[in-house]
Amino acid sequence: MSLHLHRRTVLRGLAGVMLPLPFLDAMRGVHGAAAVESPRRFCALYTANGMSLPKKQNKLDQWNWFPQETGKDFQFGNSTKPFEPFRDQLTFLGGLHHPNGLKADPHTCSDMWLTGAPLHDSSRRSYNGVSLDQVVARHTRQYCRQPSLVLSIDAGVGFLSRTGTISFNDEGKPIPAENNPRQVFERLFRSTKASLENQREALQRKVRVVDAVLENAQALSRQLGQSDRQKLDQYLTSLNEIETRLEASEKWLDVPIKPQDYSTLALDVTNESEPGDYYKTMFELIALAFDADITRSVSFMLNREDGMGISDTFPLKLGLRRTHHQLSHAGDPDGQLDFAKYDQFLAEQISAFAKRLSEYQDPQGSTLDNTIVLFGSGASTTHKPENLPTMILGGQQMGLQHGSYYRREKGHLCDLYLSILRALDIPEERFGDSTGSTLKPVA
Amino acid sequence: MTTFVFRQFSFLICCAGFANVSPHSILADERELAAVFDSELKPFLQAHCCDCHDAESMESGINLELLSSKFGDRELFLWRDLIEQVEKKQMPPQQDFDEQLRNRFLESAGRAIHLARSRVQEKNGAVRRLTVAQYRHSLQQLFDTPEDFTETLPPDAVSRDGCTNNAELLGLSPLHLEHYLEIADRTLEGCLVDEGQLPVIQNFVMHLGKSVNPDPCPDRLILGANSRLLPNEDILVTELAPEKPFSYQPFEMQKSFRFIEGYQGNSTVRGWREFSGIYHAVFGCMRGSGDYPLGLSHEPSSNGLLLRSAIPSTEIFQESSTYGPQANFKIALRELPDSGLFQVRVKAAKYEDPLLLKENAKVDQSCLTESSHKLNAASGDLQVAKAGIYLIRIEAKLPQTLDESEKKKTDASKTANAKPPKPELLKLEVAGRLVSRNFRPSYFDPASTAGPTSLDMQPFCVMRLSKGSHPITAEVGGKANVTWIDVVRLAANTELEDRFLAFEKRHPQLAVYLGLRRDCGHTLKQVGDCIQVDDNELQEFVFEAAIDDFPRPFVEKNNVNYLAGVREITVRNEYTDGEEAPRLLLHSIEFEGPYLRSWPPASHRAALPKKQIKESEREYAIRALERFMKRAYRRSPTPKECEKALKSWTASLDKTGNADTALRDSLLVILTSPQFMLLTETSNSPKAEKLSEVELASKLSFFLWNSPPDRELLELAEYGKLSELVHQQTIRLMDDERFDRFIQQFSYEWLGLDKFEVVEIDRKKYPRLSKEIRVELLKEPAAFLRYLLEQNLSIRNLIQSDFVVVNEPLAQYYQLQTPVHSGFRFQPVNNGSSDLGGVLTQAAILSGLSDGQESNPVKRGAWFARRIIADPPDDPPPNVPDLEDTPGLDLSLRQRLEKHRNQDGCAKCHMGIDPWGVAFEAYDAAGLLKKQPTDASSTLPDGTLVTDLNDLRNYLSEQHFDRFVFSFLKHLSTYAVGRDLSYNEVLLLEERSKKLAEGECRARDLVHFIVASDIFMTK
Repeated sequence: MSLHLHRRTVLRGLAGVMLPLPFLDAMRGVHGAAAVESPRRFCALYTANGMSLPKKQNKLDQWNWFPQETGKDFQFGNSTKPFEPFRDQLTFLGGLHHPNGLKADPHTCSDMWLTGAPLHDSSRRSYNGVSLDQVVARHTRQYCRQPSLVLSIDAGVGFLSRTGTISFNDEGKPIPAENNPRQVFERLFRSTKASLENQREALQRKVRVVDAVLENAQALSRQLGQSDRQKLDQYLTSLNEIETRLEASEKWLDVPIKPQDYSTLALDVTNESEPGDYYKTMFELIALAFDADITRSVSFMLNREDGMGISDTFPLKLGLRRTHHQLSHAGDPDGQLDFAKYDQFLAEQISAFAKRLSEYQDPQGSTLDNTIVLFGSGASTTHKPENLPTMILGGQQMGLQHGSYYRREKGHLCDLYLSILRALDIPEERFGDSTGSTLKPVA
Repeated sequence: MTTFVFRQFSFLICCAGFANVSPHSILADERELAAVFDSELKPFLQAHCCDCHDAESMESGINLELLSSKFGDRELFLWRDLIEQVEKKQMPPQQDFDEQLRNRFLESAGRAIHLARSRVQEKNGAVRRLTVAQYRHSLQQLFDTPEDFTETLPPDAVSRDGCTNNAELLGLSPLHLEHYLEIADRTLEGCLVDEGQLPVIQNFVMHLGKSVNPDPCPDRLILGANSRLLPNEDILVTELAPEKPFSYQPFEMQKSFRFIEGYQGNSTVRGWREFSGIYHAVFGCMRGSGDYPLGLSHEPSSNGLLLRSAIPSTEIFQESSTYGPQANFKIALRELPDSGLFQVRVKAAKYEDPLLLKENAKVDQSCLTESSHKLNAASGDLQVAKAGIYLIRIEAKLPQTLDESEKKKTDASKTANAKPPKPELLKLEVAGRLVSRNFRPSYFDPASTAGPTSLDMQPFCVMRLSKGSHPITAEVGGKANVTWIDVVRLAANTELEDRFLAFEKRHPQLAVYLGLRRDCGHTLKQVGDCIQVDDNELQEFVFEAAIDDFPRPFVEKNNVNYLAGVREITVRNEYTDGEEAPRLLLHSIEFEGPYLRSWPPASHRAALPKKQIKESEREYAIRALERFMKRAYRRSPTPKECEKALKSWTASLDKTGNADTALRDSLLVILTSPQFMLLTETSNSPKAEKLSEVELASKLSFFLWNSPPDRELLELAEYGKLSELVHQQTIRLMDDERFDRFIQQFSYEWLGLDKFEVVEIDRKKYPRLSKEIRVELLKEPAAFLRYLLEQNLSIRNLIQSDFVVVNEPLAQYYQLQTPVHSGFRFQPVNNGSSDLGGVLTQAAILSGLSDGQESNPVKRGAWFARRIIADPPDDPPPNVPDLEDTPGLDLSLRQRLEKHRNQDGCAKCHMGIDPWGVAFEAYDAAGLLKKQPTDASSTLPDGTLVTDLNDLRNYLSEQHFDRFVFSFLKHLSTYAVGRDLSYNEVLLLEERSKKLAEGECRARDLVHFIVASDIFMTK
């Protein structure tokens, strides 16, 4: 610590400012100090191939994913009925889309869902842009152990144009997803000594480097006149902030994880098991991670576009007659009904997740009240990147006004994303192709 | 404030003479200034000016409340305009303003300005961060690598003059620092190697040609939608082991695979399957949309694959497709190295190609000589008595007669509507040269059996034939048979001969790309530049780059999908202007990576010296760190810095116990230290001081190379010889290829080309302004400036010139009369048109200053005022509605602009902007002359009437050249020193420009002028 004091003295001497120490705030939650603010969290759930929006002539209106009427008096359809207990904690959103989606290959709509980037433009340096969950992670990582948790039905990244993850980093590169419940559990809740030591070593190396740079900078500052120092001070201030962040991360390694009940976790399920069992375990892991404040940003790709991967067969396993991708292409009454039944199945899973979140308590309200769950798809029906089915659940502690079906025709999905960032208290000026026009239920 | 052009500085110039008088007591000056301001100037401003020009009203965007007794540098510019207005009796606006008051004010103001300017300017050194480009070039120079490690950095802010190297604007945030740390780490990871380990090298070659593979893959290969795989027997892949002066391990590509997700046609299938063989790892394929307009996009010959030019789909369909251009050859493959350099070596030639004629092409009898050889067969030997250019005509017949075909019809009477025969592919080979296209055979006519009728002989191609005997074969598909081949020599000096001669002069353009396959197309980046292939003999062309700079699929190893993570090496005959040209003969493509000339590689050796046998780890670390610091810090490190570096090494060694790791950590510290990231000039006093030798070395090289100094500059500086030899060194730097970095950066920033990069062009309105042509147009300003600098021509040419500097695509875009055969290489061409020449008529500029739909005189006017005559308009006053926000959608742009101009407070500024822009009105939003004659006459702010842009260019070049010279120098010196110029410096330049404008103003001379000036040489 003596070295740190020494450095800060130097810094104060140079810049005339004392730096705030964000990690102290971060620690407070762990040590259970009084008047703690509840964490603000975000969870994105993606389903591929759109939702069942049956044609008029098929007379299946009660199976349409979107409610039949907008506003407060909306009625749940059959496929969203499982959400009924959360009527006052959710909002349906309709009419939204990514303008770039209309120009791109429709099979890439899951790549774009959380980024809104112009994927059709192959001359860009990077394929995609940063995804919403990663922007959230950038701003919340200092408060928790893991910046984010990236989950998908299939592990890895798939491959470009049929990506198996919905999360993309600052450079627009896909972030490999995890799909094995046991591995996720071991990594998040059961850090081994060796893995901890590896992390610690990497962090300490960075701290060592930053320390040495700060010292080296002193050697330079001696040579400079007073008015030259401004740039150097900026340099030192920035370095110091980085060091503070690194130290905070290192401290987490020593903080024990909140004791939780893991007895209900069925960690032996895999994506080859019954779909319902698999989703249940994955959602429980997310809920546990939120409760222990291991991360504040989660993305979960429930299934994949265009018949990729194992999730295409889930409807068959559930007794429906076609695969997921085939159902999404169906125009006949049977197919559209089966597709809606699959929507209903997903609604059951997510509703159970919401219930789980509502059972955990935060300093203010339940974990659901402090979590914005975004559920939706990158297409309305297959390959149609307009009027994207979208739902927001939870987050009432952040001021979200729920209980209605809200539409904005041709609205930008990125405006919703920016509204979400604002609700999470994240000071971003824009996101993707946001226009700055916030969305009522959120803003 | 009204912006007057070419201000008459009668009043101010008398002050300028005092600019460098010796300073008396600073305090006394400050006191006197404050007294004059408070007692004389401020009361006048408050009484007569501030009603309209306070912070709230800001009429014409002028806020005089900014003026204070400090007379800071920015205030002085405002004072200058203010005094001019009062002097010219434009302000205060009352007609009967008291002249005594006016004169008293002018006198006091003059005194104050004089005092202010003769103060000693606080000027003590400068610290600026390296720009993203400078940082990139520094890393590349330090590690002797072409790799770009800086892709993740946020772009630098752009100053009002367009510069990205403005010290004040170069921000530094934790985000920057975090990136620097990451980038430095990644750079070391990519550039340093473990010397003890054997490198692994991947090397293979793909040969192309008709049945080149005696043992082809028996499986049917699949590459997904819009892929046309070459026949398996036409590609041959061989893994090689290159000869190297060091030992290494050859990389063997994986050849057996197991996938669960595969493809059947275009749909996905699931189920585990085994695949084996190199052809499941490396594919040869064509991709692109639709049919080729004439002939075949590709055709295997005995010696390689013949490629026509890759037409971008926009050229044919007016819409872009992600599948890429036609005639797009690629190698699709599963594995490439992770890092390091790579080479793609292409063996190719310009094919001695026949000129293919369209179906139904008419050849006038006058083009032909009597010398004709007729062959009543599909093949035979052709005896050519006289070498020359020959037309080949072909007749092919269906065996059934017209009558027979008619019989099948239900209504036999409609002979006139007889269905024409289907076209079939006709392949012709003469003297070993191939050419094919679709050919419509005619029905057999039993009435004429004597010989070919002129009606049925179709012109097929034109080719050069030598004297002697040549084999000839023609083959047609379907049921048709070739009945006659007719070879006739062309008459001299005819249209067809001219066309063939022009065709022969043109060359295929070889381009290589690397990237990855996507289901909906591909993501590709070009490797190096396009090369013109002008030899008929096979030659090897080498394309080299760093593999990390190219898109990669980010797929985990052992992905279970057959098409996951497929990479692409694309080879194209690049499209230039659509004129007919001989084809590219693609013989073979070889890949080698990592491409190593030595082990350890150059990047490693650039960073670290060779360890000496008797040296201890510590001694080696001391030597290596000092050497590295000297290059990274662009000067010798101080003893203190050496001590710190060694300390960090020791600390890391203690922790890790590994000397190499410790060394790498210390390099990381050096690469993220401010000594490396910041350019510093240190002063000992507030007075202007001469740059130190090492400071000069950096300033000079970052100015002329946008990169750190090389060894020669640093050595001269260390010996104290650089300031003496600065002129010679400037010449050397300008002759170095790194000078191109200056040319590109400066022309881009000065001329504001970023606008052209972002403008959304209405492609329906301007179909010719395609994505591809935009890339070329964007290069034009730099190409023009490069030519002026190379030839040391006058910068007057920037205003107007009797030449343009263009390549084939641009010559076509501008529809020049003079033919250009240089491919993508820019060359000077005499244009003979007054509508082109200089930078003012360049499409990248004119189009960038539009809204993509219509020309925009306000944008163009403001650009001209700021960048060309350095008479920048003031910022618009607050709360001016945007053009778009003006209600009334049915108004034309011109009307909307007028409406905008007529708003309160806008008119005065626009008087200094719009007249310049209106003179450009004859040019549309694509930067070309409008089809309808457009009135571009304009009354300039000084009352001169110009009839069009050409007239404006004459006006500038003949009457006000000094103003242009000033603007050029102002932008050049602002770029050179990386900060805004001070008031005194601006005035000095204005004065010197008057003198210089009387001379030639040659481009290189002006660079020397800036380097020698105090603006550059002092700190």
